[in-house]
Amino acid sequence: MAPPQLQHVNLSPAELSFLRSTLCQDPPIRFDHTKGPKDFRSMRAEYDVLPGANGSARIALEDGTEALVGVKAEVEKSQWRPSGDAQLRDADADANDKDAKAKGQNSWMEMSVEIPGFRDDDALPVFLASMLTESLLASGGLKDRLYINSRFHWKLYIDVGGSFLVHISMLTVQILLLSPPLSYPLALLSMTTHLALLTSRLPALKSDKDEDPLFDDDWDAAVFLYPKSKANASEDKPPVIVLAMAVGPNIIFDPCMEELAVADAVLAIACANATASSSRARIVSVRTIDPPSHLTPPGVPNSMNSATGGTVPASSAEALTQRELFANSGVWTPPRGGMKRGLISQVVKMVVEEGGVAEEVISALHAIELG
Amino acid sequence: MAANTDRRRINAPSGGTSAPVFAKPVKAPGYLQSLRPNRTRGPNELRKTCKQTNSIRTVLQTGVVPSASGSAYLEVPTTTASSQSSLIPPTSSLKIAASIQGPKPLPRSAPFSPTLVLTTTVKFAPFATRYRRGYIRDSAERDLGVHLEAALRGVIIGERWPKSGLEVVITILEGDEDAWWGDDKAEGGAGSGWGLLNVLAGCITVASAAIMDASIDCVDMVAGGVAAITADGQKVLEPCPAEHQDLVAACAVGYLASRDEITELWLKGEVGADPDELIEGATHAAMGSVSVLREVLLESMGTKTKVANEVSKRKLEDVEMTG
Repeated sequence: MAPPQLQHVNLSPAELSFLRSTLCQDPPIRFDHTKGPKDFRSMRAEYDVLPGANGSARIALEDGTEALVGVKAEVEKSQWRPSGDAQLRDADADANDKDAKAKGQNSWMEMSVEIPGFRDDDALPVFLASMLTESLLASGGLKDRLYINSRFHWKLYIDVGGSFLVHISMLTVQILLLSPPLSYPLALLSMTTHLALLTSRLPALKSDKDEDPLFDDDWDAAVFLYPKSKANASEDKPPVIVLAMAVGPNIIFDPCMEELAVADAVLAIACANATASSSRARIVSVRTIDPPSHLTPPGVPNSMNSATGGTVPASSAEALTQRELFANSGVWTPPRGGMKRGLISQVVKMVVEEGGVAEEVISALHAIELG
Repeated sequence: MAANTDRRRINAPSGGTSAPVFAKPVKAPGYLQSLRPNRTRGPNELRKTCKQTNSIRTVLQTGVVPSASGSAYLEVPTTTASSQSSLIPPTSSLKIAASIQGPKPLPRSAPFSPTLVLTTTVKFAPFATRYRRGYIRDSAERDLGVHLEAALRGVIIGERWPKSGLEVVITILEGDEDAWWGDDKAEGGAGSGWGLLNVLAGCITVASAAIMDASIDCVDMVAGGVAAITADGQKVLEPCPAEHQDLVAACAVGYLASRDEITELWLKGEVGADPDELIEGATHAAMGSVSVLREVLLESMGTKTKVANEVSKRKLEDVEMTG
């Protein structure tokens, strides 16, 4: 059986061809003609929406798609692993509070993505969860902060849901998407997760070193999972994922469903903000996404259609040859092949450059928290 | 109480058993580290061409599953010779089998599709890695399936088979580990995931060979390649994660050599602001697979035409006999 697809865009080959030619113009005319190629759709965002979670956020796009992310942390016993050098281990225990570097483990974060209409083992939620997880884990800073002492750690559960929900659990991050997605939901989920993690707090630790952990029960004393410094330029922030598509010579960010239906290639780029060590945003993960345009129906040129005065080719081999000849005539043919390497580096550059898309998105999300 | 238990047979303990874990190895402290494998080939040297004492070259063979419309088997040899002092192999090799069913008509109940419906299933055999995989696909395997699908979708000319389905089934018989077995982090299957990139590149190459074998229309041959960056900033091609303790970023690509295009890109880790070099490294590694794929293509074409000639000759003879 065919796996469930993102809600399919019902556009005819003629409409697809028209949409593509407008997007290929210079400057491109987008589906929403008021937007430029780098403009994001407007959205409403709020945080601390779930009282029972360590951090949460909700973002709603104007088309009705919305995502809810809850971050929940639990204390969990670390599994003790035998290590050959007992001496080394003792030294570690002494230094553990000063240096929790590289102690975090990937399994300390668990992400679940729920999208209505999809089972949790369908390709889309699995792909979204793994992309979000790997971008969060890439820098190592987050998982190291989950270290409490040699015997205990936080487990973070992130639950993401949509019409879209995200659930972050052990650090459980749960994302819950509340409505069926009307466009590729990756960017929306990632921004919501970013906001939830940015505002999530862990209870302040009162105990020392290897004691059983004891926490301050005053929520006001809780520390931020992503610590805030006064000079906000260099602090570590969770990464965001930006979706970019290439169509003809143009590159378009945050494409909507209809635009994706004519994309030549789609790239998801996860980037973290600039830190003290690097002035520009850093890439933490890049993936290509299979554009839905590969699944669109090819158009039939008039000359091959008996209803419009053409002649239907006699054999299927002949039909194939004629089709190939019409490939560049404006009759819609689903795109083939992949992305040129130069195009990839061009997209990446537009994202990470100073004042680029990544910086813009991260600072916009930061502004939500301040305001 | 005892009446309920089966006393005629010797039963396994009800709670299961676990292997003993020793707090301290019997050997000297440095012993474990002395087993750690190191990369012996140069940073730009590919795995397959590496000549070790008893290593072999990459094996890629098509037509291994007679009942499938196309199939292939890939074996990338282990990079280090097994050591004399331990029974545990220092590094793993990569063994992947792919089979293709179709193009075949979709079931009547399926909705209309104007293009070929591609289904990719990637499954590790339970014994493929040190950490046992279950029989049901876990999220890592499903994710690999999505990546593979993206790599193949751009290559196959799907519009030529409306209302048809194509199933690509990949079984990984031996997969690359995420880290060396002696490291703490290697345990429990929750590793860094560097090994998966190698597996994906292998899957892409072997699936491409199987598609070739099934004679499905494609725009080009897609080949997989991997490159990584170590903590000291060195770029290595086809890294074997067990040999590197400190990978910071890695990248797998599905590369179309004659079009110079990338259908699948999976890059993760801290690459900084400019991943171009890493991507280029991965495409160089993919070029190595391309040359193997070309050889295999020629070989299988040769066999196919030979078989076809023989069949037609036999038919000719038959005609003579009856005439």
